[in-house]
Parts: sequence; structure tokens; C-alpha cells
Amino acid sequence: MSGDNTNNDCAPCVPCAQESLFSRSCIALLTISFVLVGAFIAMTLIGDAVFYLPVLRQVFSFRYYPLLLVAVPLLSGPLQAALGYRSAWLRDLTAVTTTFVTFLFILAMYPQLLTDSIYNTIPAVFGYGLHFHVDWLSYVMVSVSGILWLLVTIYAHEYMAPEEHQDRFYLWMSVTLGGVLGTVMASDILTMFLFFEIMTFSSYMLVAHNESAESLLAGNNYIYMGVAGGLAVLVAMILVLFSTKTLQFTYLAAELAETGWIQYAVAALLILGFGVKAGMLPVHIWLPKAHPVAPTPASALLSGVLIKIGAYGILRVATSFFMPAAGPLMSRDNPLWNLSHVTGAAVIWIGILTMAVGVFMALQQSNMKKMLAYHSISQMGYIIMGAGVAAYLGYYGAMGFSGAVYHTVNHALFKSLLFMVAGVVYLRYHELNMYNLGGLWRKLPVTFVVCIIAALGITGMPFFNGFASKSILHHAIDEAYTYGHGSFRYAEVVFTIVSGGTVCSFIKLISYTFLGRCPEKIATVPNTGNRMMQMAMGGVAVLIVGIGVFPGYLMNTFIIPATRSFTYDPAFIDRYLVDMNFFNSHDLMGTVRVYALGFAIFFVGKKLHLFHLHLPKWLSVEYVMYKPLQSAVLRVSRHITTNYETKANNADVYIYAALLMGSLLMLTVFFR
Amino acid sequence: MLSLHLPVYALLAPLIAALILPLTTDGDSRQLRYIVGGAALCATALAAVSLKGTLGGDVYTYYFGNWIPGVGIEFVINIFSSFMSLVVVFISTLVIFYAFRNITHDLAQHLIPYYFTLIFLMLFAMVGMIYTNDLFNLYVFMEILSLTSCAIVSIKRKGRNLLASLKYLMQGTIGSVSILMGIAFLYMVSGNLNMSALAELMPDIWQSHSINVLISIGFILTGFGIKAAVFPLHTWLPDAHSSAPTPSSALLSGLVVKIYLFAAMKLLFQVIGVDIMREVGLQLFLVLFAVSGMIMGSVFAIGQTDIKRVLAYSSVAQIGYIALGISLASPAGLNAAFFHVVAHALMKGALFLSAGAMIFTTGKRNVNEFSGMGYRMPFSMTVFTIGAFGMIGIPGFAGFISKWYLGLAVLDGGHPWILLIILLSSLLNAMYYLPIIIKAFLCHECETVPSVMERDGLPATMWVPMAIMAVLIVLLGVFPQLLMNITGQMPHLFL
Amino acid sequence: MIYSFWIQILEHVNYIGAACLFVVGLYTVVTHNNFIKKIIGINIMETSVFLLFVSIGFVHGASPPVLTLGDTGGPFVNPLPSALILTGIVVGVSITVYGLSMVIQIHQLYGTIELDEILDTEESKDDSPHA
Repeated sequence: MSGDNTNNDCAPCVPCAQESLFSRSCIALLTISFVLVGAFIAMTLIGDAVFYLPVLRQVFSFRYYPLLLVAVPLLSGPLQAALGYRSAWLRDLTAVTTTFVTFLFILAMYPQLLTDSIYNTIPAVFGYGLHFHVDWLSYVMVSVSGILWLLVTIYAHEYMAPEEHQDRFYLWMSVTLGGVLGTVMASDILTMFLFFEIMTFSSYMLVAHNESAESLLAGNNYIYMGVAGGLAVLVAMILVLFSTKTLQFTYLAAELAETGWIQYAVAALLILGFGVKAGMLPVHIWLPKAHPVAPTPASALLSGVLIKIGAYGILRVATSFFMPAAGPLMSRDNPLWNLSHVTGAAVIWIGILTMAVGVFMALQQSNMKKMLAYHSISQMGYIIMGAGVAAYLGYYGAMGFSGAVYHTVNHALFKSLLFMVAGVVYLRYHELNMYNLGGLWRKLPVTFVVCIIAALGITGMPFFNGFASKSILHHAIDEAYTYGHGSFRYAEVVFTIVSGGTVCSFIKLISYTFLGRCPEKIATVPNTGNRMMQMAMGGVAVLIVGIGVFPGYLMNTFIIPATRSFTYDPAFIDRYLVDMNFFNSHDLMGTVRVYALGFAIFFVGKKLHLFHLHLPKWLSVEYVMYKPLQSAVLRVSRHITTNYETKANNADVYIYAALLMGSLLMLTVFFR
Repeated sequence: MLSLHLPVYALLAPLIAALILPLTTDGDSRQLRYIVGGAALCATALAAVSLKGTLGGDVYTYYFGNWIPGVGIEFVINIFSSFMSLVVVFISTLVIFYAFRNITHDLAQHLIPYYFTLIFLMLFAMVGMIYTNDLFNLYVFMEILSLTSCAIVSIKRKGRNLLASLKYLMQGTIGSVSILMGIAFLYMVSGNLNMSALAELMPDIWQSHSINVLISIGFILTGFGIKAAVFPLHTWLPDAHSSAPTPSSALLSGLVVKIYLFAAMKLLFQVIGVDIMREVGLQLFLVLFAVSGMIMGSVFAIGQTDIKRVLAYSSVAQIGYIALGISLASPAGLNAAFFHVVAHALMKGALFLSAGAMIFTTGKRNVNEFSGMGYRMPFSMTVFTIGAFGMIGIPGFAGFISKWYLGLAVLDGGHPWILLIILLSSLLNAMYYLPIIIKAFLCHECETVPSVMERDGLPATMWVPMAIMAVLIVLLGVFPQLLMNITGQMPHLFL
Repeated sequence: MIYSFWIQILEHVNYIGAACLFVVGLYTVVTHNNFIKKIIGINIMETSVFLLFVSIGFVHGASPPVLTLGDTGGPFVNPLPSALILTGIVVGVSITVYGLSMVIQIHQLYGTIELDEILDTEESKDDSPHA
């Protein structure tokens, strides 16, 4: 038997030569990656001169990295599918190597960003050409996607081993990576739209991978909403092109301000279109369906990277289309910020609503992956709220922007780690219901430790990464009611409650899954063969702790340069963001309060069995809005077809003759 | 060496082939295939060469029999007529090659030469209609086209075919008679049948006899509306296009209905003129019909179960797009309409040909039986998917470009609400194409299929046209400038 | 005056005739179930257009379009519409022939040429897959 384990039972496979070759290569690649990351961090701290060493200059001044970054995954996908016919481990090794090479290119792009951002163009495609532009915001997204994809691909080898159609999975996973990188590196909205659609369709194949009835239903939901969101972006694009004669992500607030109602239509359509991808209320309903049915590596990538692309889209249009150009007279009260104010206020409230509904639904779930999916919605609410504050405060929006970007990075890390943990549990014990599990801390010790790290990250414990971004977001919402409208005080209250709810939910997860007593049928299942998965999860955990202990590094190296590249008040950035002291007493006390609230909710909930209450089915957005809409469209079509088609087609020609005579009459008499 | 006779040779080659073909009696012989294939390729080459002569924007007039202008029949050879006749002949060639093997399943052996005769006569009529500059000549070519297109539906001689064809004939003839009535009213006040001469006389006629012009516009629009299947006069189309043999469906949906739209454009824009159209207020009227066609075509398509009927109703919706572009009467609108004519001909051709290949091999027509077709016939299903993605409007395929330019043209014309209608109709398109594709490729119980043969086991004459069409759809989707450079020169001929 | 009204009618009797025939033909096509009657209706419609077309070629006080020796000119009746309509009649005949041949085939297949009866037959076997 060769190294792939394609039978359906979960008995760990006997390690043979190819398996250990794969493991050794993965360990090698991962170690090299971490060494390179360490070297990279060291070099950024030492100073820029290091990058101009002659031996490395060739590598660092290559100008076509964006094209390579898009081309390599897109081409390697079919290659992996073709290799998969011969041997599975070679395919998996190719997948890991491809993501490693992509990550190398991402690291190598950095020095060019220090001097000037990178521009690449493929002319003549679509008539406008494809344009790529890597600035700091794109670079953050690209690097987090790159490192996460590498770790998840290593994880995927053991997880996908018992699945069917693995070639197809790896093919579409690679194409999705190409789509993601193309979307975030796009410099005009048409290029972004192309790669956005590629991403949507290839991730559909990941969601519907199992081909079970509920996978297909979830996939249908995903693709129709994805297509609808894409069409909304398309209409907005056409309106922008028509009004401002350009598609590039440049500062268009001045031009848009002259167009009257079109600017609001553009804003609404773009927020709606990108919000579908981001899991924003009310177009979030595909998320809780898609995540449980997708295989875990796909869920990790969906939650970790793909929904961030929606938030990235909102951030990108907020910092280009709605933002006026910087100039000597720019100030907070400049009327060109009007569109940004209005849009920002709406987005803040949508973000708050998303946060609240996400956590509320998550507390009711017993399926681990569904709970994590609702938490994704909730955390995306944080990010969307941050983006909203950035737009709302306009010139002073740097805090909200930084919070949104920082939380994007952090959420990618800890949410994918949580999904990977759930995947390990599911792979070994075939059980996703928390209430049926327990006592796993003995059986899966590494997973348990990693899960605690991720949970502390998502809940915002100091020295773990979530603390930094949640503090920034808290500051941001404080600024919203300090500099803006007073009603955002209530938004801050909701913010705190939602954070408490998050704590409670993860206490619930850990206590039910890992602590307590182990049920009978689980205690007897053997447990080996997790090595690669543990290594991948460990890698993410190291990143979480690393960012948590040195929160200022990410801010100073990536995020603050990003804020400086947009029209944000430099004095504001210098005063509040540079060298921010994260471990100040105000924020630490806030964290204590949140944790106390969380524990309180947990104990009250357990006592009063509140977690077993479920909202009635008819109260969800889905029932109120979508199901009626969908069934109405289908019903109306069928009704019209059966009643009128046969009548009209099969010579019930009185109607026909009436139409003929009517059109003749109208043309000759009424149009003079 | 470009002779002015070349376009006429491109017209005559199919005619001569059509006359020779009934002499070959065996439907499966090489002789038949050589004549048919040779004539089709010859016509394509001649059309391509005549296009080369007009690329610079030159306009030539060809006088039949050297009669002086105003007395004889003329052909106008400009970039519009040469390019569109190239498109017609090229796509017909692809479909003819496809039909070599495909038609043997639908027709009796002895009828096959007559089938190709009819197709060549149809080709002759289509090219003639595009080139002609004379009103009555237009009517004659239109009648030839009408008869032969009915005939290629009814040649299958099953009950449904005959009924559908008879309905098509009845309604088509009502349309032709209306058009002739319209021509009569125009002739009455001008005494001239030549389109260019009429265009010069038109301002005076409009001053003195405006009611004639109005009645004539009414009849002409109604007539062409019936023949081009503009909603709500489209009722003959679903039956005719779904029951016909596959090559006939592809030709009818992809080419024939467009020719009638071209003829309507010539009459409305070149003869009657945009100014009179604007004065009468015709634009909004036509826009309303086009827009309702876009929506209702898709609405009807959602409820269908036969794959060819779905594609036929989809044609109704797409003709709505082209009619929308025409009714905007602006350079951007006409540009988008011309692009969509070519794009839709390719996409609908690819869809019909791949659906026909699936019916040819498996005999399944019902959409609900398509589960796992992606495993059974991956090549055909891929071509189908490419065509369907183009229809939905996914970037990278030709249909996206036409929706893009149509959207820009709509904003240019000052009707932003139509953008929402375009969005809605794209969504409706997705609602009936995506389930078919999903069911075909993702079907859990369909794993046990016989080993998939190389290119689905289709003969070369069947898969090569499908592949060419699919490649062209993607090529036009990624590099639309190839086509836009040519179609961009056409609107000024009309406006 | 009423007298001039009747003169107007008489002068334009060809238009009125054509319009009436057109409507009669259209009515016949759309309302009758029998296929032969539909074809007759089409013919009536075509006749109406031919009538209109030929009649508009007439010029008052003109001679037939035949050149005789020593004829210097003078108004001739326009021969062009008649020539065009000859072509049109041929077209009409070919449509009629084609339609009638299809009616024969339908009769052979269904045994009837009434549209409603055929539709009933078709609907009743709608469940079986059709070719």
C-alpha cells in the first residue's frame, strides 16, 4: 500500500518511507520558514541598510513579484491535480512547497515597499489591462494569507487523508490562493472583481466538496449569495467608471461629491457586495451553513482568509473612493469627508449588530464548527466596526483603521487555529457536538494547550494577540463618541457585552470538550498520527504568542506605515498610535472586567440551562427574508410558466392578436 | 488582389453548393461531405478576404448587372456588412461540420442532402440580407430565410416539429406581410426602393407625409418584432428551437434572429433615421419591450425541464439585451449590441452544440436527469459550463464584456434604472444555469460510471467546433479589444 | 360636405380594401383551428398587401407602360409594383405549398388537422419523453 490512506476508517496509517519523507520535508520547510521570519524580523528591527547587501540585492529588487505571486498558485493547482493521479504524497508535497515558495516571494517583496510601492500591469486584458499594486495594506493581507496557507496546507495532509476527491480539493485550494492574492494586490476595482469572482467560484468547490445533501445546499446558498454580491460590486463599478471616468483605487471623494445620489448608491452597493463575502449582517446566512460542511482545512481558510477579503474590500474602498486627497488644506471638517461620515456611521451600526447577533447565536450552538462560524461573524463585526470608525472619523480615523487591520491579522491566526483544533477532534472521534465530548485534555494534550492559547487570543488576554487589537478597537469606538455623535456610547456598551459573551462561549467550549470526564465510546479510540497537524497548529500558536508578547512590532512595522499612506492626520498618528503602550492600566482593567462578565454569564447560563434555549426557527433573518424571497421567485416563475406559457404558446391567440393590434395602434396613434 | 466581386462570390458559393447537393443521394457519403465542407470553407475564406478590404473604413457599392444607381439592386460593402457576414458564415461553418455526424441521429439517410441544401440556402439568404441596399430585395431574401428556417425545423418530421414549424411559419408570415405592408407605405410616398436614396428623401417625406412614415414604422417594427422574437411576440421560439435538430437550433438561435434585428436596424437607422425616431419617441417604447424581454425570458426559463427549451427561453432574454442596445440609439449602445450579437452567437452555439452532444451520446434531455453528466461527458459539460458562465456574466468570458459595455451605454443614455434590471436578469440567469452545472459535476451517487472516453467518444467533426467556440468565448472575454476595434467602427454607419 | 366624404372614400378605396382584407386575414389565422383555414388566412393577408402595392402604382390619366412607335412619352402607369408583386405572389405560393405539405404530414401523423384536437393529443402524451 502506498503512502496515501484512502480507506474510510480513521485507523492511523502505518508510516512508511514516503510518509516520513513527507514529514521530514514539512518539518524542514516549516523550520526554514520560521528561521526566515525570525531573520526578517531581525532585519526590520536593525534597519533598512541590511536589505541592500549586494548578495541579496538581486533577489530584493526583482520587480515582478506580484505577477509571480498570482501565477504560481494558479498554475500549481492543475499541476497538483495531475500529480495526484500518480501519488498522493507527491501532490501534498508539491502543495506545501508551492505555498512555501509563495511565502518566500512575499517575504522578498518587503524591501521594495520601504522605498516605494510595487506596480505591475498586464496590458490589454479586458480592454483596461490588469493592474497590480502592492502597498502596505495589501502587504499585510498578503503576508497573513501566505503564512496561514502554508500552515493549513501542512495540516491538510493528515486531515484530508481519508477523504475522497483529494486532487480536486488541492486543485481548488491552490486556485483560491491565487484568487486571494490577486484580489488583495489589485490596484483597480475591475482587476479586484475578476479575482474576487475566481475566488468565489473556487471556494465554492471547497465548500461543496463532500457532495452530501447538506453540503450542496450550503454550497448553493454560498454561490448564489456570492454571485449576487459580485453583481452588486459590478453595478457599483459601472457607476463609478461612468461618474469619475476611472477605475483605479485613487482618492475619488472630490469627484464623487459632485454626483448627487450616485455616491450613496455606490457606497451602499459596495458595502453590500463586499459585506456578503465578509459575513456582515444581514447577508451573513451562508456562513454558518458553509463552515460546518466544508472540510476543516477549507473552513480554516474560509474563516481565516476569505471572509477577511470582504473586510479588505470595504477598507480599500473606504480609503480610496470615499477618501479625499491629502493636501495642505485638509482638515477634519473638510466637506469632502461627508460621504465617508455617512457611510461610516451606517457601517459602525451594522458592525455592532453583526457582533451582537454573532455572539448571541454562538452561545446557543452545540456543534463546535457552527459555534466557531458564528464567532467568525461576531469577530468580523469587530473588524467591520473598526472600518466603520475609520470612515466615520475621516481625518482622525487612523485608530479605527489600525484596529481593523490588526484584528484581521489576529483573527486569521486564532480562528484558523480553533478550526484546526475542531478538525483534529472530528478526525479522531467523529464528533462535533460539545456536549458529547469531554476529558480530551488527556488524550490530545498538544491540541488542548493550543486550544487554550487560541481561546485566550480570541478573548483578549494580555500577552496574547487578541488583547492588542481589541484594545485598539475599544479606543476607536471611544473616539467615535468623543469626536462624533454621542449615541456611540451605547455601541461601546454593546462592545463590552459582546466581548464578555465571547469569553463565556470559549469557557463553554473548553470546559465541555477538554475538561470533565471522557465518555465511554471516545475513551477507547486510539490516537496517533497527528504529528503534522500538531506541528501546523503549534506554528500558529507560536505566532499568536509572539504577536501577543510584542504587540508593538506589528504596529510599527506594518500598520503605521499603512496609515501614513492614506489621508489620515499625521499628528494624530504620531500622538496616539506610534509607540502605543498596550499594557496600560486602563485597558488591563477593562480586560479584567470583561473576563469577570464572561464568567458570570457562563455560571448563570449553566445554572439556568440558558444554553439549551434556541431561538425559534422562524425568527432568523433567513426565514424572514431569504426563504420567502427565494421561494417567491421560484413560485412566481412556475406560476407564470404554467399558466401563461401554455396559453400564450399554444395558440390562445386572442391575446396574441390583441398584442399585435395594440402595438400597431400605439405606434401609429399615440406617437405623433 | 481584392476584387469587388468577392463578397458576391461569398454569397454565391453556398447557392451553388445548394443546387448541386440534391444530386448526391446518399447522406453518409464522402462526396457529400467534401461538397458541403468545401463550400462552407470557401465561403468563409471569401468573406474573410472581403473583410480585409473594408477594415480601413472604406465603403463600396456593388451594382448588380451594372445598372445605374437608382434603377438596379445594390449591395453596400462596408465594415458592418463584411464583418457580420464573416461571423455568419464562420459560425455556420462550425455548425455544418458539427452536423455531419450529429444529424444522422435525427434524420433519415435520404433527407440529409436536402438538409444541407436548406442550410446553404439559408446561408445565402442571411448573407444577402446583410449586404443588400434595396428594400424589396431585402423582402425576398427575408422570405427565403423564413422558409428555409421553417424547413430545417420541420425536416425531422416528428409531430412536435411539424406543429412548431407550422406555428413558426404562420407567425413568420404574418411578420413578413407586415413588413411588406410597411415597405409599401414607404414606397408609396417616395417612389424609390433604394435605401440610400430613401434616406436622402426622408426629411422631405417626413414633412409632407408623416402619417405614412408612422404607419410604416408601426408595421415594420411589428413585423421584425415577430421574426426576431422580441418579447411579447416571441411565442413561436421555444417550440421551434427546442424541437428542431441541434444544428438547426444553434443556427436559428445564434444567427437567424440576429439577422432580422440587423434588417430592422438598417430600416430604422439608415432609412428612417435617428432624428425621426427621437421625434416620435420610439426609444423609450423599444427600451420597455427590450427590458421586459430580458426579465420575462429568464423567468420563463427557470420553470423549464427540457434542456433545449431552457436554452431557447434564454435566447429570448439575450435578444432583449441586443434590442436594448439597439433601442438606446447611441454609439455606445450600438457598440454593445454588436458585441453581444457576436458573443451570444458563440455562447448559444457552444451551449446548443454541447447539449446536442450530450443528447447524441446519452439520449437524455430532461434537466433532472443530468446528474453526474460531468463524469460521463466531461468535455461537453466543460463547453456547456463555459457557455453558461458567459451567459451569467462571469468575468473572463465574453458575456461579461457585453454586460459591462451595455451597462456603460445605459448610463450614457441616461437610464440608470436599467442597470438594476441588468443585474436582476444576470441573477435570474444564474438561477437556471448554475443548478444544471452543479448537478452535473457534483453528484455523490454518480461515482460508478463507465470509464470516460477520450473527449467523450465524440467524432472529431463534433468536438472540434465545440472546442473552437469555447476557446473563442474565453479569448473574447479576456481580450475584448480584438472585437471592439471592429465593432467600434460600425455605429457611425448607422447614426 | 358629405358628398366629398364619399368621394374621398372612393378615391381611397384601395387603402380601405387592403386594410379590411388584412384584418380579415389576420382574424382568420388567429381564430380558426383548422390548419387549411389558417393557410387561407395567410393568403388573404398577402393578397391585401399585393392589392395595396399594385394600386399605388396607378397614375391618373396615364397610359399603360408599353412603348409604341412614335410615342414620345407622357405619363405611364408605374410598372415596377406589378413586377414586384409578381415576385411576391411567387413567394406567397411557395409558402402556401410548404404549409400545405406540412398539413398533409400532420394529417398522416395525427389523423386530424384541427389544432385543438392535436394539442389535446400532445398534452396527453406529455409525460413520455419526446424526441
